[in-house]
Amino acid sequence: MKNRLRVLRAEREWSQADLAERLEVSRQSVNAIETGKYDPSLPLAFKLARVFETTIEAIFSDEN
Amino acid sequence: MICSTNNPAQRRFFYRFAVAMLLYMLLLVPAVWVFVRFRPTGVLAYALAVLPALAIIGMLVVIGLYLSEEKDEFIRNMQIQSLLGGMGGTLSLVSVWGLLENFTHVRRLDLFLVYPIFWGFVGISTVIVWLRYK
Repeated sequence: MKNRLRVLRAEREWSQADLAERLEVSRQSVNAIETGKYDPSLPLAFKLARVFETTIEAIFSDEN
Repeated sequence: MICSTNNPAQRRFFYRFAVAMLLYMLLLVPAVWVFVRFRPTGVLAYALAVLPALAIIGMLVVIGLYLSEEKDEFIRNMQIQSLLGGMGGTLSLVSVWGLLENFTHVRRLDLFLVYPIFWGFVGISTVIVWLRYK
């Protein structure tokens, strides 16, 4: 699954650690999601959407 | 297991696991001593033999508690993969060894070695999982 996490983070000048703190997960988790190695659960995807004040669809797309 | 000291669930896990390990040593050493010195039989022998295993069961409960308390789903996922790798490796090895024992003349595997073998495989599995998500 593709995602725009890196772009959204860059727009806010957040590091992976900053985002991890906001999501209450580890930096490794953010890195794994961002690099597409791990697809988050629906609750975590909603949390990401809340943190970035957007929708899940605006962050993730199912294109390969 | 992959660990981070900032993670409260992991801190609790290591504390509980250390307590269970200490308990294991505290139960095993006197049990061995009593067996060597007094050669107990009957109910006492059974009770003494089983006592250290209770601490091992405690360690497994500690793992279960950790998995239920870990809030970081990615870390939990990695830990579960490592543990499954450990179980798969152990079951494969003991199955092969068991058949070898039946059909050939290999040395009989002491069952108490299965638990440390499991942790050996968990260690290998943890490295593989870590490299996969690196």
